Amino acid sequence: MNEAIKISSLKKSYGTHLVLNGLDICVRQGEVFALLGVNGAGKTTLLECIEGLRKYDSGNIAIIGKVGIQLQSASLPGHMKALEAVKLFAKWNKVALDNTMLGALGILDFSQKQYYQLSTGQKRRLHLALALMRNPDILFLDEPTAGLDVEGRVSLHEQIRQLKEAGKTIILTSHDMAEVENLCDRMAILSGGRISFIGTIKQLNETVGKHYTITIQTESGTGKYASDNIGETLLALLTEYREKGETILDIQIDRGSLEQHFMKIAKGE
Amino acid sequence: MGAFLYGVSLQWKLDIRSKTLLITCYIVPLLFFAIMGGIFTSVLPEARDTLIQSMTVFGVTMGALIGLPPSLVEIYSSDIKKVYKANGVPLYLGIALTNISAFVHLLLMSMILYIAAPLAFNAQIPKKPGMYFIFLAIFIVVSLSIASIIGLAVKDQAKTSMFSIIVFVPSTMLSGIMFPVEMLPPIFKTMGKAFPASWGYGLMTDSAFQFDKLLPLSVIFVLAVCLCVVLLHKIDK
Repeated sequence: MNEAIKISSLKKSYGTHLVLNGLDICVRQGEVFALLGVNGAGKTTLLECIEGLRKYDSGNIAIIGKVGIQLQSASLPGHMKALEAVKLFAKWNKVALDNTMLGALGILDFSQKQYYQLSTGQKRRLHLALALMRNPDILFLDEPTAGLDVEGRVSLHEQIRQLKEAGKTIILTSHDMAEVENLCDRMAILSGGRISFIGTIKQLNETVGKHYTITIQTESGTGKYASDNIGETLLALLTEYREKGETILDIQIDRGSLEQHFMKIAKGE
Repeated sequence: MGAFLYGVSLQWKLDIRSKTLLITCYIVPLLFFAIMGGIFTSVLPEARDTLIQSMTVFGVTMGALIGLPPSLVEIYSSDIKKVYKANGVPLYLGIALTNISAFVHLLLMSMILYIAAPLAFNAQIPKKPGMYFIFLAIFIVVSLSIASIIGLAVKDQAKTSMFSIIVFVPSTMLSGIMFPVEMLPPIFKTMGKAFPASWGYGLMTDSAFQFDKLLPLSVIFVLAVCLCVVLLHKIDK
């Protein structure tokens, strides 16, 4: 698969605080790529360096294709109407208004509302429409579903899937691990200014281990056991219980969640 | 060019909707004119000779210093500046659009005063209207350049109002529009020369080309523009 973005040895500091310490990342064309990290890990700084909104100290960023950026809320004047924003962006980017795209995102339903009157979901959709205005190859989404209700979240996830199907490369930041698991092909976890992990969710699970928790309930009580090798541990436990002559009433097996794996890497636990 | 003109017309509409500029450019100056115009002309009948100029200097100073900075703070102290960068739009566009819009609003308000003062208070019309409006335009531009410094340098709205008032009060009190400059203590008289209102008032009152009054305004304008450029570069980092 061809590269859409290639970042090498990227460094950025604020004063004496080194935020990005020699990052190397490659994003492939057509994939949905997540940038993860705890607050202050440097996600937004990295995203803004790639987007060209922030200058970096050293390193190289190569971007192949047209870029569209969905900014977070509060990035338009409060009294600007949705349609006025769309028209302004169309004029800036020298493109015609795409009523099909505006209709699909539901912008026409609130086109005469001023920005401050829009709900969080409407603002997100408007920003997505503005980002799509010049038909970009690469789309940056900064916490696209933050503050949205369930309906808004589901709707936006569907739109992101459709954009992926249309061949767009999407880079997003998120704090929602379920969202990352559902939408993203690969992810990078930032920690201490470096990339602690880069790969698929399957690779993440393999990297940090399976971390199963086995709960066995018997007549005499409940026992909890942690394991990275479910087959061997379960077999050994069943043998042990049989030798003791205890009757097993229930067995529950929990797999470590993506959140736990993320925390383990992001916080170096 | 189409994008620029659309931006100007949009900024004009935003300024009217936001009401800040509407209040500071029209409502307060015209209210001040209605009350103080009556008081000035009844207490001191010869105030009719300079009523248009004094009320205009007050209105322009207020509209520029208190009306413009909040619009700039909204653009440059928020993520709006990222929108400019993300779309390849130069950062100075924000300051250009807001200044053009404010200029037109202030010119309109000044024209209302120019028409209303003779009708309401029998005020004297300037002898050379052409020169008067040229000097008025120069004064508005210089006042807006000072206001732009406040809007770019200060990061939040509350502090912006504070700094605007700090510049606005001495501008109007020491410019000679309330009472003759000759009555002021020498130190205040000297301080007043640091503000464009004093020079603008002098130019508009005389309605004749006077290089010694135009030069200080030009110096203030050039310095203000240089400072704005530096501040924009700082914001761009």
